[in-house]
Parts: sequence; C-alpha cells; structure tokens
Amino acid sequence: MLYAMSTVLILAETEAEEGSNIGLVLPDPYELVAGIIAFAIVFFFVWKWAFPAINRSLESRQQAISGQLKEAETAKLEAQSLLDDYRAQLATAKSEADRIVEEARAQGDAVRADLVSKSEAEASQIVAKARVDAANEKARALQEARQEVADLSIDLAEKVVGENLDRAAQHGLIERYLADLERMA
Amino acid sequence: MEGSIEVLKGGLALMGYGLAAIGPGIGIGIVVGNAITAMARQPEMAGTVRTTMFLGIAFTEALALIGFVLFFIA
Amino acid sequence: MFEQVILASECDVANEVICAPADVKELFELPTVFHIGQLAVSRTMILIFLAAFIVVALLYFGLRKGSVIPSKFQAVIESLVQFVRKDVAEDIIGPEGVRYAPYLTAMFLFLLVGNLFEITPLINFPITARMAIPAFLAIVTYVIFVFVGFHKNGFRYLTDIIWPKAVPLALRWLVGIIELFSTFILRPLTLAVRLFANLVAGHLMLTLLLGSGVIFIWNFAEAGAKSLVGVAWFAFGLGIFLFEIVVAVLQAYIFTLLSAVYIQSSVHPEH
Repeated sequence: MLYAMSTVLILAETEAEEGSNIGLVLPDPYELVAGIIAFAIVFFFVWKWAFPAINRSLESRQQAISGQLKEAETAKLEAQSLLDDYRAQLATAKSEADRIVEEARAQGDAVRADLVSKSEAEASQIVAKARVDAANEKARALQEARQEVADLSIDLAEKVVGENLDRAAQHGLIERYLADLERMA
Repeated sequence: MEGSIEVLKGGLALMGYGLAAIGPGIGIGIVVGNAITAMARQPEMAGTVRTTMFLGIAFTEALALIGFVLFFIA
Repeated sequence: MFEQVILASECDVANEVICAPADVKELFELPTVFHIGQLAVSRTMILIFLAAFIVVALLYFGLRKGSVIPSKFQAVIESLVQFVRKDVAEDIIGPEGVRYAPYLTAMFLFLLVGNLFEITPLINFPITARMAIPAFLAIVTYVIFVFVGFHKNGFRYLTDIIWPKAVPLALRWLVGIIELFSTFILRPLTLAVRLFANLVAGHLMLTLLLGSGVIFIWNFAEAGAKSLVGVAWFAFGLGIFLFEIVVAVLQAYIFTLLSAVYIQSSVHPEH
C-alpha cells in the first residue's frame, strides 16, 4: 500500500514539475519513508523504554518519600514511648521518695513519742521520789521538832516548877497533849 | 505570452490567498479575545478554556489553510 | 547554510532590494548528499534521522539513571514527558489517554526537535517544512481517531456525525454535511497543513531576511549605501528569529493537543 501511495505521489510530482509549485505541498516519497522509519524508532523507544524508565524512577521516588515518612513515623513513636517510659520512671521515683519521706517521718514520730514517754516517766519518777523524800524529810523534821518542842517544854516547865520532873512521864503527857492538838487542828 | 499568463496566474493565486486569510484572521481574533475574557472572568476554568480556544482556532484557521494549499496548487 | 549559498550565487546585489531565489523550491528541496545504491539520500532525510536520534538520545541520557533526586537535565526531560502524558493525554482524553500517551509523547518530542531545527545554527532547516512528516503524523492520527470511533461506538459514530440529535431538525442535515466534511476531510488536512505552513513561512522569512542581510552587508562594496538596507533586513530577521522559537514550540504543542482532542472526540463522542 505504501508502495502504491509512493507511486501516486511520484506521478503527482512529475506532473507538477511542469507548471505549479504543487510539489512543495505534497510529501516527497523518500522523505515520507525516512520520516516513517524515524518516527517508528522514536515511538518504539518512547513506548518500550522511556515510559517504563520514567515510571520506575517515579515509583522509586514515591517509595523513597513514603519510606522516609514511615521512618519519621516510627522515630516519632519511639520517642513517644521513650518519653512515656521516662515519665513512668519519674512517677515511680517520686512515689518512692514520698514513701521514704513518709516512712522517715513515721519513724521520727515514733522515736519522738518514745523519748517523750520515757522522759515523762523519768520525770514523774523523779517527782515521785522527790515527793517521797520530801515527805520523809517532813516526817523526820516533824519528829525532830516534836522532840525538840517536848524537850523545850520540859526544860521550860522544869525551870517554871524549879525541880526535875519525871522526864519520861512528862514526855508522855506532852506527847498526848500534842496529839490532841493535832487532832483538834 | 505563455510567461505573462503564468505571472498573472501566480498574482491571482496570491490575491486569492490574501482574501482567504481575511476571514480567519478576524475569526481567530474573536475566538482568542473571547477566550481571554472567559479566562479573566473564571481563572479556575483557564485550562478548559485554553483547550477549547485552540480547538476553535483550529476550526477557524482551516479556511486560511485551504487557501494556502490552493495557492500552491493554482 | 546551503540556502545562503544559493542566494549568494544568484543575488544581484546592485539591482535588487532583497535577495530571493528564482524558484522558491530551491529553499525546500535540499540537495542530495550521497547515494546508497540507487537511493539518493538528501540532506532532509539525514536531518529526519538526526531528529529521531536526538530525541532518543535526550530521552536515554535524561532517564537512564532514574535517580530519586533528579539532576537538572533529568528533571527537564521528565517534566517534558510528564507534561504530554498528564497535561495533554490524560487531561484531555481522560483515563483512557494512557493508551495514547506513548504516541502523543513521541509525536510531541519528534516535532519539537524537528521544528527547532529551523533555528538551530548550522542546520537551519525544519524537517516539518516538508510535507512528509506532518502528512504522515496527521494520517496516523486520522486512522487512530476513525478506528477508535468505530471501535467504541460502532456504526453510531457515523450516524451521530451525519444526523446530530442535539441540533434542531431544520438545520440538522446542513450541520451533518458540514460535520462530515469537517471531521473526515478538514481535520487531517488542516492538521498537517497548519504545521507545514507555519514552518514553511518561518523558514522562508528567516532565510530571506537573514540571508539577504548577510549578503548585503558582506558585499557592501557593490551594494554601497544599500548595505544599510541589509542591516535593516538582518535586524528584522533577528526579531523573526525570536518569534520563530515560540512558533516552533507552539506548533508542536498544537499538533499534539489537536491530535489528543480528535482522539478524545472519538472516545467520548457526546462531548
């Protein structure tokens, strides 16, 4: 068919040679064949090589971009989990510290309470002892004073009466009198 | 004598092509002018308008191109 | 390069205002460089294979490594391919555009390189200023969209074009005829001719203006004060040169875009 077309064109051209410029607007058969071959080369190259190549490179670019995005995503997740870890650790540490402080405080309170009770007991002991001592002292002083008063009274009475009385009988008398006094008081 | 007729034929063909180019010239002016108005009015449709504009130019230009071919054939 | 030689050999600097060859064909039918047996290999054919080679080399060196972090060159090539694949094929045709993406990408890159030959120093000839490549690619697009139209919609593809239900009954037959003519004749014709005509015009302007400019300035002894005209031609030619960069890229884009639109109209004929 191409051959037939070429012959027609050649005929047209040889006719045209004589008068007008029609040869300029008709395709030259040799150039037509050259053009067809050249375009076929370009077409098959584009179809079979260039398009797959550009598709490959576009695809790899897309993959690279999505890969980077994914990487960033995982890095972010990792950082997040790390942060969570740190936070959890911080929280445990804090509660631990709280617990220790609490314990220490409780211990201190116990020690203080112990000390206070101990010292209170000691103090009350001392007071009790002092009280007993004082009472003893008082009783002894009272006894002594009574003796003294009795002696003095006897001496006084001896001096008043002028003669020695029966000391022991007198003592009993005064004792009785003093006891009466005490009872009356 | 022969030569002068040839010259006359060439001159007439040239005039014919000149006349054939007037209409498409005006037509393309109208097409492009209206296309620009449309693009200015709706810039978001510029792509569609441009394609349609080229199509319109292609139709309008056909007459001038036929004239061009006839100039060579004559 | 060759064109300037032709111009210089023919140009009568003393009497003409601009150098134009006697026959404009000389600017487009490039001389044979060598023979392979019976086959005469013209410069155009070599340039066609050079364009294919450049596209393959750009793609190969751009996409060979496929590094995750692309080099500047890799990024440029990748964005070129992705531009056709996403912004043209998938945005216009829809999810099914993936199937046509290799064709559209190959077409865009081949045409882009072929068009940019127009302004490449030492080459200075766009291979798309010859009808062969535009015609071939337009025919391929034509075959694809007609085949896809019938394959997807059966015979309804044709009847929907001839008898459009959306149009009022009184106008339906007229619209049908216009649509039929437009779809099956004008579409491939204009697709090919648009690219071809733009590049022919650009190549003609550049060769005539820059060529004349250089020749007038070079032969200032003969041309005298007219070499100033040469300076003006040259400056104008430089302006056109910049404009042609835009045209070369734009025409490659439009050819690809319209191919995609035509295929889309067969995949989803209701739009």
